[in-house]
Amino acid sequence: MVKHYDLIVVGAGPAGLSAAIKAAECGMQVIVFDENHRPGGQLFKQIHKFFGSKEHKAKIRGIRIGEELLAEAEKAGVEVSLDSIVLGLFNLKGVSVMRNDQIEHFRGDNVIIATGASENVIPFEGWTLPGVIGAGAAQTMMNLHGVMPGKRILMVGSGNVGLVVSFQLLQAGCEVAAVIDAAPRIGGYGVHAAKVARTGVPFLLSHTVVKAEGTDHVTGVVIAQVDDHFRPIPGTEKHFDVDIICMAVGLSPMSQLTRMAGCKMVDNGGAVPEINEYGETSIPGIFVAGDVAGIEEASSAMITGRIAALGAARRGGFLQEEDFQTQYRQCLDSLNQLRQGMFCKLNKGRRDITETDEGYPLSMSLLTKGYMTEEELAAIPTVDSHDCGIHPVIECTQNIPCNPCQEACRFGCISVGENITRLPGVVPGSKCTGCGMCVANCPGQAIFLVNENYEEGFAAVTLPYEFLPVPQKGDQGMALDRSGKPVCDAEVISVKTSKSFDHTMLLTMKIPAEFAGKARFYKPEKEGK
Amino acid sequence: MSNARCADMIIVGSGIAGSSTAWYAAQKGMKVIVIDKDGVIGNGASSRNGGGVRVSGRLAPEIPLAKYAVENIWPNLADALGVDIEYHKAGNIRFAFTEKDLPTLETIKKTNAAYGVDIEIISAEEAKHRCPYVGDSVTGAAVCDIDGTANPLKTTLAMYRAARNLGVAYYSGEEAVRIETVKGRARRVITASGNVYEGEHIVLACSYQARALANTVGVDFPFRQKLIEIFVTEPTRPMFDFMFSAVGASGGAYGHQTEHGSFVWGGDSGHEHHPIFEEDAKCIQPTASAISRGTMTYFPALAELKVIRTWAGWIDLCEDLVPVIGPVEEVPGRMVAAGYSAHGFCLGPVTGKILAECAAGETPCVDWKPLAYDRFRSIF
Amino acid sequence: MKEYLDRTMDIGPYVPEPDDDLIICRCEEITRGEIRKAIHEGMFTMTEVKRYLRTGMGLCQGQTCGRLVKQILEQELSKRITPEAENTARAPMRPIPMSTYGKEVE
Repeated sequence: MVKHYDLIVVGAGPAGLSAAIKAAECGMQVIVFDENHRPGGQLFKQIHKFFGSKEHKAKIRGIRIGEELLAEAEKAGVEVSLDSIVLGLFNLKGVSVMRNDQIEHFRGDNVIIATGASENVIPFEGWTLPGVIGAGAAQTMMNLHGVMPGKRILMVGSGNVGLVVSFQLLQAGCEVAAVIDAAPRIGGYGVHAAKVARTGVPFLLSHTVVKAEGTDHVTGVVIAQVDDHFRPIPGTEKHFDVDIICMAVGLSPMSQLTRMAGCKMVDNGGAVPEINEYGETSIPGIFVAGDVAGIEEASSAMITGRIAALGAARRGGFLQEEDFQTQYRQCLDSLNQLRQGMFCKLNKGRRDITETDEGYPLSMSLLTKGYMTEEELAAIPTVDSHDCGIHPVIECTQNIPCNPCQEACRFGCISVGENITRLPGVVPGSKCTGCGMCVANCPGQAIFLVNENYEEGFAAVTLPYEFLPVPQKGDQGMALDRSGKPVCDAEVISVKTSKSFDHTMLLTMKIPAEFAGKARFYKPEKEGK
Repeated sequence: MSNARCADMIIVGSGIAGSSTAWYAAQKGMKVIVIDKDGVIGNGASSRNGGGVRVSGRLAPEIPLAKYAVENIWPNLADALGVDIEYHKAGNIRFAFTEKDLPTLETIKKTNAAYGVDIEIISAEEAKHRCPYVGDSVTGAAVCDIDGTANPLKTTLAMYRAARNLGVAYYSGEEAVRIETVKGRARRVITASGNVYEGEHIVLACSYQARALANTVGVDFPFRQKLIEIFVTEPTRPMFDFMFSAVGASGGAYGHQTEHGSFVWGGDSGHEHHPIFEEDAKCIQPTASAISRGTMTYFPALAELKVIRTWAGWIDLCEDLVPVIGPVEEVPGRMVAAGYSAHGFCLGPVTGKILAECAAGETPCVDWKPLAYDRFRSIF
Repeated sequence: MKEYLDRTMDIGPYVPEPDDDLIICRCEEITRGEIRKAIHEGMFTMTEVKRYLRTGMGLCQGQTCGRLVKQILEQELSKRITPEAENTARAPMRPIPMSTYGKEVE
């Protein structure tokens, strides 16, 4: 027997769940299939805080967003069928599913494919050795199963995935030997790079893997600099002892179901179905949402999911044209907020951007080494108000779509403005109380509280800290600069946690006053140890 | 393209029949052009069939061709093409699984005997002995030793490769839409893009599409299309090397284990006869399940093998279930090789040889007349 | 796939390259050199390379190597492979044992 639904959603990740929730709210009978044992797609591996604004669930960690979506789905009456492998998308929008060791046939008046993306690989000598893994696999091991992928890792790829996973590897207790990228610029957000760089991880741009060493598993890696055609330059080889080579070299849309169904395919960073503005493919009633339509990120996936659901609801007569238009406009505005700034799709791969939207010079050091020089920071007036006493230093210098800092400060000290890709800045005349909410809420961990006059000859720097073991008040350690280089001794004078910080600790360290502008990380050991 | 592309022979269809014709014709020194509406070489039945190379179970008019192919062409084809096409002459065993299917085995034996093809009827015990994996419900089997299997994907592409090496010009993504005659001879093939291909001989080796093209010069054959499906499993240890089929079967009706170790298994669910018409052959929901059930009945030991991939193809089914082959006398210069009714893989190479010989004015290696297009004149 | 292709084009002979022994299709263990050779033998589409060598016919169905084979083809043919010309996708999306496939819920 073939079971019919108003809408069948394939994939219970951010796009699929958001689509199902919206469709169910419109009154559609919806079923969501996912091959995994847990819903949420990649969300439950995302232990970092998301960017965007409040409506995009910014400053909330991916895992919490996953939990929220599940609760919403349940409330909306969405049927989520897990451990359910969709075998294919057939004629008449037939969906055959394997679950409970049986095959079931379904048909949907509408189908939304939200199957996400898979990781790309690059082949090099030894790439099939155990120990060469994808960044997603590393995340799965660490964040779902609590397993360290290895001891010492080379990260290949400096996009947001490579940067975020490098940081998570550090959090898990692994050592990251380096982050390399064949491109001449770091591909991901500067703030993500900066939080990796300040722990001491070097960035090697214009570098590629030459070979993985080892006989039955990876024991080392040789990398080399590349020329303009991405070919290794002989004589530039470098060796690292590593047991894991982690690849974060891009994602490809998992668009197989749409291809199987016969949807017209086009190129959008990989083969994707051609779609209209509502995510509908060339086959009426088959929609896509999330990375299947072209690689973006979870926040926009949730919105494209809702848009596809609106399209399906309208098509099925569950939504009047007027309602549809109103809701679609809202979604589109929200989506457009995310699709701005120097990292948006339109600007992908551009090397000619040298200034922020505000006309400030972009930090070239940040784009190549992962950290900013003091001179570069000084050239951007929004970073530091240079107020006396405790005040925020906002080292957020690229136009990325994010504004939780603005909401975080109850005293209105920080402003981003309407356009969420503008750089945040301290509102002139405002008074910082040193509460640290901005530090804790910044998803990029780019805000610090600095008090140059903490004590005679000493400054206090408050930084976001997400490592274990939790440092204790009175601990003696080192302060590292933005490149991870030890600059001076540091004493922990306070470690604040709060439910609202959601596991981000506010660590305040006391350092000699002259290092107030340099010290940006705390290492719980003394130099030379 | 302003001017016509000219050759001695224009072949429509790059599958095994078309490419074989091209290969044999090129060997005779003819200049040959092959066009195909698909962008991929041999993307029709040639690349979608189950890889059977057999004489047994064929209908009477085509047995001489099949026999010639199996005896004279297939055994030497890999060497001639320079590609391992995985041809194995390991026999075909046609199993019966009910008592009432046993007489069918006898009929097959008789039909084949008339053409000198030897079929051995064996008991259920003997069948079990020859293939310990066959299910207990087996009631008997008909064995034809000269049958075998080959890899259709590699064979088709190897044929294309060999023809291309001999200078045959291939243009893919060129859909022939009509044939034009010049002074009563079929000479030109016009494509959807407006290109013109002109030659002494026009060969239609494009399965069902041959009917529409033949219609443009006033010739018709009673063809229709039927969807069939196949799946392939993950590889496993070598279990048996013969071509399996079941008489009176439903579900998994035929298949074999490939050199790679996977099983290629074909069959149907009974719903394929009236598919929603689309140009691309697409699997329908129930078929793979039906083939799985059939296969497990015949070979319970295969039950845990994983199905990796399913695909579908069109059969160009001729009314009398045998192909239409040879020159079309009504329209000189025109030849056809189509309507194979699911038997085209085995017969492709011999057809190519025959057509090349006809074009060269030689006596064909096998008398093709019983398969001529004009046999339909006298059906009633 | 309906794209026009003039297969009389000359892409030159196969010339070995240092990384020809790199495995590209992990499931079927097909090397870059084998793929390059096949292309120079006339296998000008992803589907033909696949059918000739088995790239992408293994358990992962080309999920890993599809992009790589495409890049090699683009390099050897000096042209873009369009999305329409990429590997087909067919059921089942994941390998399924016959014992399960055969059990349809009534």
